This record gives sequence, C-alpha cells and structure tokens, in this order.
Amino acid sequence: MKPTPSDQNKAVSARRSFLQRLGLLGAATAVAPALLPAISRAKVTALKGVSDEQRWGLMIDTSKCATGCDACVRGCHDEHGISSTGNEHTDAQWIRKIDLQDNLTGQESSLPMMCQHCDSAPCVDVCPTGASFKRADGVVLVNKHTCIGCRYCMMACPYKARSFIHEPVTDQKSLAPRGQGTVESCTLCVHRIDADDDLQPACAVSCTEEGHSAILFGDLNDSESDISIAIAKHDAQQVRSDLNLNTGVRYAKL
Amino acid sequence: MSFGSSSRTVQGVLLLIGLILGWSSMAGEPGPVIPKGKGEQCVAETDFMRRNHMDLIVHQRDDTVIRGIRDEPFSLVECVDCHVQLDEDNQAVRIDEEGQFCASCHAYVAVKIDCFGCHAAVPDPVVPDPVVPDVAQQDSVDGSHWLPNKQLLAFKQTLPTAVPPALSHHKNEADTVRSE
Ligand code: HEC
Ligand code: HEC
Ligand code: HEC
Repeated sequence: MKPTPSDQNKAVSARRSFLQRLGLLGAATAVAPALLPAISRAKVTALKGVSDEQRWGLMIDTSKCATGCDACVRGCHDEHGISSTGNEHTDAQWIRKIDLQDNLTGQESSLPMMCQHCDSAPCVDVCPTGASFKRADGVVLVNKHTCIGCRYCMMACPYKARSFIHEPVTDQKSLAPRGQGTVESCTLCVHRIDADDDLQPACAVSCTEEGHSAILFGDLNDSESDISIAIAKHDAQQVRSDLNLNTGVRYAKL
Repeated sequence: MSFGSSSRTVQGVLLLIGLILGWSSMAGEPGPVIPKGKGEQCVAETDFMRRNHMDLIVHQRDDTVIRGIRDEPFSLVECVDCHVQLDEDNQAVRIDEEGQFCASCHAYVAVKIDCFGCHAAVPDPVVPDPVVPDVAQQDSVDGSHWLPNKQLLAFKQTLPTAVPPALSHHKNEADTVRSE
C-alpha cells in the first residue's frame, strides 16, 4: 500500500520534531562540558560509564626501578587477594619483575612486566566468546562472566601477561572477584581508577611508597598529562614495538 | 441423559475436593526460611526484589564490567553487606551456605548459582586505619599497610547530592533521589 500524503506529512512532522529534539540534545551536550569541572572525572565515570576521551596507561622509568625490589608485585597481589596456592608453576601472576642484562655492555636493568593494554590486542582478537575485551578507555580486561577458560588469549599474548586459575580460590577481596576456571590479568585496577581520581593502580602506589616512583599512571590521550609529558621527554618505548600493538604501557630508558 | 449430568456433578465435586486438598497441602508446606536483611528496606521493593533480583544484578554486572558504571544500586558487594548473617562468635557466615540468604530460596526452587566461586561471600574484614602507616608497617612483607580496597565503597557516600541534570543518566525522579 502506498503511503497517503497525510501519512507522509505525519512522517515529516515526526522527523521534524525528532530533529528539533536532537537540536536540544546538542545544546545540552554543549552545556555539559561547562558543568564538568564541578564534578570529578571518576565520578562521571562511575555514573555514566567509561569513555574514549581517556586512554589509561602506565609509563615505567626503568632507571628508577630497583633490581630485587618487588613492591609493585606485592602491592598488586595484596590489592587483588592473590596468594600462592603452593604450586609455583600455576600461581596467578598479574605483574612480574624481569631482570635484563645487555650481553655486550653487561649493563643491567630491571622492570615490571604486566598486561600492556594494547590498542590492537591479540588476546581480544582470538577470544571466541568476546570475554577478552578492550574497554572504551583502553583498559584490556577479561569479563570473567563470559570467559570459558579456553586460554587462547594466553597463547596469543606476546607478553605472557595472563594467568589461568587452576584451583578453587577462597578469601577473595570483595572488590576483586576471582575464581577457578577463568583467565585473569592486570586490570589497571579499574575498581580503583573508576571510583576516585586520587586512586592510582596499586603497583604505582606501592612503588611510590617504596621510594622509587618508577611507575607513572595517567591519561595518554591528554597531551598535558604528566604521563604524556614524561613519555615524550624520555621517548619511552613499547616492548616489542615491532608488533605494532600500540601498547598502553611504555618503558623509558630501556 | 440423567446419567451424564450426574457424572458431571460427581466430576465437579471431585474437582472441588481436589482443589481444597491441593490448596491446604500447599498452605501447609513450609516455604524457604529466609534470614532477615539489615536495615529498613532493600534496594528496591521487597516483592520486586524477590522476583527480579537475578535480572537486576546480571544487568548491573555488565554495566560495571564492560562500561565501568559503578554507581548503580544493585552491586553484589552490597547485597552481601546487608544480607550476610553473623554466627555466635560474631563472625560473618558465607551468604551462599546452606540456610543462608542466597541459598535459602535457591535450595527450595533448585536454582544453582556460581557467583560466590569468585565473589566474596562475606564482607571484607575491617582493616585497621591505614592513614599514617608507620615505618615498621611499611617494611612488612605482607603489605598489610596497603590501602584496603574496601574503602572505595565509602566513595559512594561522597557522591554529589545534586548531580547536574545534563550529567545524570538516571531517567526518573526516584532514581535521582536515590543517589543522595
Ligand atoms: C569467574 C569469576 C566470576 C564469577 C563466577 C562471577 N563473577 Fe561477577 N565479577 C567478576 C569480576 C572479575 C568482576 C569485575 C569486578 C570489578 O571490575 O570491579 C565481577 C563483577 C560483577 C558485578 C559488578 C560489581 C559488583 O559487585 O556489583 C556484578 C553485579 C557481578 N559480577 C555479578 C555476578 C553474578 C550475579 C554472578 C553469578 C551469576 C557472578 N557475578 C559470577 C568475576 C566473577
Ligand atoms: C540496605 C541493605 C540492603 C541491601 C544493600 C540489599 N538488601 Fe535485599 N533486603 C533488605 C531488607 C531490609 C529486605 C526486606 C526485609 C527482609 O529481609 O525480610 C530485603 C529483602 C530482599 C529480598 C526478599 C527476601 C524475602 O524475604 O523474600 C531479596 C530477594 C533481596 N533482598 C535481594 C537482594 C539483592 C540481590 C541485593 C543486592 C543487589 C540486595 N538484596 C541488597 C536489605 C538490603
Ligand atoms: C526470595 C527468595 C530468593 C532469595 C532470598 C534469593 N534468590 Fe536468587 N533466585 C530466586 C528464584 C526463585 C530464582 C529462579 C528464578 C527463575 O528461574 O526464573 C533465583 C535466581 C537467581 C539467579 C539466576 C540463576 C540462573 O541460573 O539464572 C541469580 C544470579 C540469583 N538468583 C542470585 C541471587 C543472589 C546473589 C542472592 C543473595 C543476595 C539471591 N539470589 C537470593 C529466589 C531467591
């Protein structure tokens, strides 16, 4: 049946009022940024969800990272209630310390290695259920509610950053649910950074508390942020930059 | 003819008796014993919670995990905080244990949930005030000076009471009031 002229008119006027409303919406969004400073970024996140306005990342200054120090590892594992099951080979490891030595010069350096929160993350590509995903703000996570424990992501990860939980977990922290049969890795402490602007990932805080301040956390999208300035200043590198993953974790003076 | 109608009468009587018996046996059967929750009221009407809690928390979990929204009322952490029971020694009992809140109805209707294989089934133990960690504590290997992540829950109380309308994703008045 052909639409009658009056139908068409209705459609047009409906479209008009829709456009009008859109206009209002535009006005509202134009006003919103003016209101933004009154309310902190984290509180906006907690209310409205994450957005791609931010991209969270870390910069590790390897010259400040002390050989033999594992404050970041302890801080991370405390925060998330990770403890040894007594079986070292299968213990979860969200962050680990790596010591490097240059074969030629003998120069030693030490650095923490964790999920690099890649922009084009191989773990996300291979996941059959979509459980391995990248949040709008660049944090790469496992949605444990849909993880089936197949471990493809672990094999795809060039940084060996993920762990599979083989044994039942007890005494979890209420803000860090963990359990048998799923894969986990560094979450960039989303439960902390979403909640409060003053809260940084546990590893960064522990490192600072220990007096090293080798881990800097911040917004890579904001060219004025401390982390962006430091990355530019030190020309901080990606590990395995040849893979073109555009990592969210950068290493200075590597 | 008369035979047919009397048989119908008999059927009717039987049906009535059946209904009465069925009704009384239903009324007599003990339902689940549900431990009482803390506070005056649940995060929504109790009736509504009975029927819809599963949808509410599953919806919220996607909002939180995928979209980072953490200001919604249906947090599993908070269900546990309000609905957990204490034993004689004042210790929290796992909320998924037999007879406990989340297990009471579920055992009755044969529902099995795996949530508490990962999620803490008791509230976090109260950690001493971390404000001024002393040096001895800082050196401790277990890192017990670490800011307890539980404290984050307090942040919700510090949310602004009046959220600018343009920023509020809440759709109706009642929701906005709730965030106060
Ligand atoms: C394999 C582990 C695992 C299982 C099983 C699991 N969760 Fe989760 N859940 C998580 C993780 C990890 C998070 C993310 C926590 C964060 O980002 O703060 C989470 C977050 C949540 C959240 C948002 C945070 C909160 O406390 O409000 C809700 C709600 C939730 N889960 C509900 C459930 C429900 C309901 C079930 C059972 C049907 C369940 N989960 C089973 C691991 C699990
Ligand atoms: C502020 C404390 C509080 C929080 C938070 C809370 N509840 Fe409740 N809940 C109550 C109270 C009080 C009642 C009604 C009184 C009672 O338990 O008989 C109740 C009742 C219920 C009932 C119906 C129980 C019955 O007797 O039929 C269900 C189901 C329920 N809550 C589930 C939840 C879930 C799921 C969550 C987390 C999303 C939650 N509650 C969070 C306090 C709370
Ligand atoms: C008032 C009784 C009652 C209480 C108390 C209760 N539940 Fe339920 N729950 C049910 C019923 C009934 C179903 C099944 C509904 C259905 O199958 O449609 C259910 C289903 C669920 C489901 C979905 C299960 C599935 O396989 O789809 C989840 C998740 C759940 N409940 C979580 C909880 C949690 C967490 C608590 C404790 C905080 C709780 N429930 C307390 C009655 C209850």
